[in-house]
Amino acid sequence: MKYIFSFLILISLVSCDKSVSESMIEPYAPAKVDETAGSWKTFILTNSTEVVVPALNSDAAYKKEVDSLKSIEVTASQKAAVLYWGAGSVLRWNEIARELAARYNIPPAANAEGVYPVPNAADPLADPKFPFANPPYTARALAYLSVAQYDALVSAWKYKYQYNRPAPSVLDASIKPLLPVSTLPAYPSEDAVVAQASYVILLAMFPGEGPFLAAKLAEAKNVPLWAKTNVNSDVIAGANLGAAVAAKVMARAKTDGMSTSNNQAIVPDMIAHAKSLGFTTVWASQELPARPPMLPNYGAVKTWNFDRTTLESIRPAIPYLPGSEAFNKDLAELQTINKTQTREQAAIANYWADGPGSYTPPGHWHRYACEAGIEAKYSEVRMARMLAYVGTALMDAGVACWETKYFYYSPRPQQFDLKTSVGLPNFPSYTSGHSTFSFAAAAVLVDFFPDRANTFMANAQQASDSRVYGLIHFRVDCTMGGKHGKTIGDYAVQRAKSDGAN
Amino acid sequence: MKKLCTLLFCLLAFVELKAQMPHDAIYMNKKLACGALVYGTSSWTTYWENGLKRDNPNLGRLTTQSATAMIAYGITRDINVMAMVPYVKTDASQGNLMGQQGLQDASVFVKTKTKAYHGITAHGVVGFSIPVTNYVPDFMPMSIGLGAKTMVIRGMLSYALPKHLYVNSSIAYQARSQVKADRDAYLAGSKLYQTDQVAVPDAFDAAFRIGYLKKDNQIEFFTEHFSCTKGDDIRRNDMPFLTNDMTMTTVGIYGKYQPKAFGVNARVAYVTDGQNVGQSTSISIGVLYQFKIK
Repeated sequence: MKYIFSFLILISLVSCDKSVSESMIEPYAPAKVDETAGSWKTFILTNSTEVVVPALNSDAAYKKEVDSLKSIEVTASQKAAVLYWGAGSVLRWNEIARELAARYNIPPAANAEGVYPVPNAADPLADPKFPFANPPYTARALAYLSVAQYDALVSAWKYKYQYNRPAPSVLDASIKPLLPVSTLPAYPSEDAVVAQASYVILLAMFPGEGPFLAAKLAEAKNVPLWAKTNVNSDVIAGANLGAAVAAKVMARAKTDGMSTSNNQAIVPDMIAHAKSLGFTTVWASQELPARPPMLPNYGAVKTWNFDRTTLESIRPAIPYLPGSEAFNKDLAELQTINKTQTREQAAIANYWADGPGSYTPPGHWHRYACEAGIEAKYSEVRMARMLAYVGTALMDAGVACWETKYFYYSPRPQQFDLKTSVGLPNFPSYTSGHSTFSFAAAAVLVDFFPDRANTFMANAQQASDSRVYGLIHFRVDCTMGGKHGKTIGDYAVQRAKSDGAN
Repeated sequence: MKKLCTLLFCLLAFVELKAQMPHDAIYMNKKLACGALVYGTSSWTTYWENGLKRDNPNLGRLTTQSATAMIAYGITRDINVMAMVPYVKTDASQGNLMGQQGLQDASVFVKTKTKAYHGITAHGVVGFSIPVTNYVPDFMPMSIGLGAKTMVIRGMLSYALPKHLYVNSSIAYQARSQVKADRDAYLAGSKLYQTDQVAVPDAFDAAFRIGYLKKDNQIEFFTEHFSCTKGDDIRRNDMPFLTNDMTMTTVGIYGKYQPKAFGVNARVAYVTDGQNVGQSTSISIGVLYQFKIK
C-alpha cells in the first residue's frame, strides 16, 4: 500500500501545472483620440455620413440610461471579458479572424476515388470544410474585415463629434468605468461598431462559424455596458452603423471575382501560354493524387490600390528560364541546402512557414501590424486605418502574385529532385507569395512606423529567404517577388498619404 | 546468483513516444555493468488521424531508424542505474518531406526493488530525459523527437511463477516539459496560441508481461498501453502536432540470449490500436556486453 501511496505522491509532484502563457495586452487610453477622423477618406463609403446614425435621445433619457449603469454588478468572468476586449476591439476581431483562418487553413483530403472535393459554402462544416482558408483566401478575408472596420469607424467618429455625447463617467462622476476613458464622445459606441461590422464580414467569410461569432458579438456588445463606458443606445446605434457599413463592404466582396477564383477550366490555356514563353518544364502538382492548382484565377480578383492595367504593368518579368545558366545557379544553391541545411536555416524556414493550420503569411503580418499599433497606443480608428492599408496591400499582393504565378506557371524545386523541410504549396513557383506578401506589408508598416523600419524590412527579407531555406522556392522567385511586393505596398502608402489622416 | 544484463529495454520505435523505458524486474549485481548497442527500425504506412485510420500517399511508409548506446550498472543488488542516448533518423518513402536525423534525448534511470508481499516484489523507477541536440520538434511526423524534457516515475510489481515463468506489470507517469517550437503561433484544439511555447501533454503507460527466464536467457510476451492525459486530435487532413493526445496499444515479443559476457537481444512490437499515432511495426536487435567495474 505504501508503494502505491508514494507513487501517487510522486505523480502529484511531477504533474505540475504547465499551461502556456501568452503575452497579455493591457487596455490603454490612446495617445491621440483623432478628433478629425470623421473626415478621413474611406475605402467603400463615398463619405462618412452615407449611413445615417439617428439623432440623440433627450438629455433626460440619456441621464436615465447612465443611471441604469449604476446597478450593473459585473461578475469575475464579465470583468475578464472587459479586460480582454478593452485591449482593443479592432485588435481582438483581427485576432479572432486569424484564429478562424488557422482553423480553416487545411487543404481538403482526397476522397476514395482520388478526387479532391471542393469546399461548399452552402454546407460549410461538411468535409472538406468551407472555406479552405489558404493565403489568398485569408488575405482577402482580413482585407475586407479591416476595410469594414475602418470605414465604419470613420463614420462613427464623424457622428461622435457631430452629436458630442459625453461618456457616462464624464456626465456623472459617480460612474466608475472599468476601462480608461478618453475625451472621445460616446455615441455611437466604437466597440459596437467594430463588433457588428466584424461579425458581418467574418460570418460571410466563415459561414460555418455562426454560433461562435454570435457569442463573440454578444460579449463584445455587452462589454461597454459592463465597463460602464457606454449606455445601451450607444451600443445599438453603433451596431446598426457597423452592420450597414459592413453590408456595403460585402457588396464589393460579392462581386470582386473571388467566386470564380478556382476556375480550373482556364488552366490548359495557362500551361500553353507558359510553354509559349519558353518553359519546357511547367508546374505540376507534386501531391499524390495530383491536386488541382490553388485558385488559378485568383489573379483576376479586383485589387484595392491599383487597377488592372497597373497590375499587368508591374508584373515581374522573368529574368531567366529553367535550364539556363542563371537558373542552374539557383538550383545549385538549393541542392547545397538540400544536403547541408543548417539548424538556423531550418528555424527560419519553420518560423515563417505559416503553412496548413496557421493563419498564413497575411495573418502573420496582420499580427505584426496589430502589435505595432498597440505599442504606438493607436486609437481604434487609427488602428483600423493602418490595418486597412496593410490588409489591402496584402490582398493586392496576393492577387498580383497569383496573377504572376499563373502567367508563368513555372515549376517548383521539387520537380528537380529536392525535398522540403516545410511542406510544398500546391501552385506554381514564380514568384514567391511569402516574398510578395511580406515586402508589401513591410512597405506599409515602414511608412506608419518609420522608427521600426529596419525591423520590418529585416523581417520581410527573412520571410523571403525562408522559402529558399525551406527549399520550395528558387532565389529568383524570392528576389523578384520581394521587389514586386514593395511596389504593391507603395501603392497603399500613396493612397494613405492622401486620405487626410496625416 | 544470476549474472543478468538488465538491458531489456522497450525501444519503442515510435520514438516520439519516448518509451525507452527499463521496465523489467531484473537487476545487475553490485559493481556489474552492462553496455549495449541496439539498432531499431520502426515503420508505418497507416496512421490514425484522430480516430480515422488512413494512409497518406504523400508520406508512403514512414520509417524511423535508431541506434542506441546504453549502459546499466549495479550500485547494489537492489539499486541499478541506467543511461542511454539514441541517434535517430526518419525517412518517408514517398512525397517530398525532408528526413531528419540526429542525436535525440539522453536519459538516466534509477531502479530499485523491495520484497513486498507473499513473493511479490515491488519496484520503483525514476527517470529523466533531456534533448541533447537542438533538433526540430515541430516538423511532425518527420521530427526525431518531441523536444521535451521528461520525468518518468514507474511502479512495478513482479512475481515469479514455477518453472522459471514470471509475470510483471507496471504503470508509469511521464511528466513532459513545455517545448520551444520554431514557430511563434500554433493551433491547439480550436485555440490559436500566439507563442512559441508548446505544452506537450503528460502521459501514462501501463504494461503487462509474461515470460520465461532461466539464467541469462529470456523470452517474454508483452502488451503495453500508452495514453496522454489530455491533448487535441489531428484535424482532418492536417499533420500531427506536439499537443496531440496520442494513444496506442502495443503487443510484442522480446528475447535475450546471453551465454557469456556477450549476448544478444531482440524485440518485435506491433501497434494494434491507437489515436493520433502511426500503426507501427518495430524491430530491434542489440548486442550486450557485461563486465565488472572494480
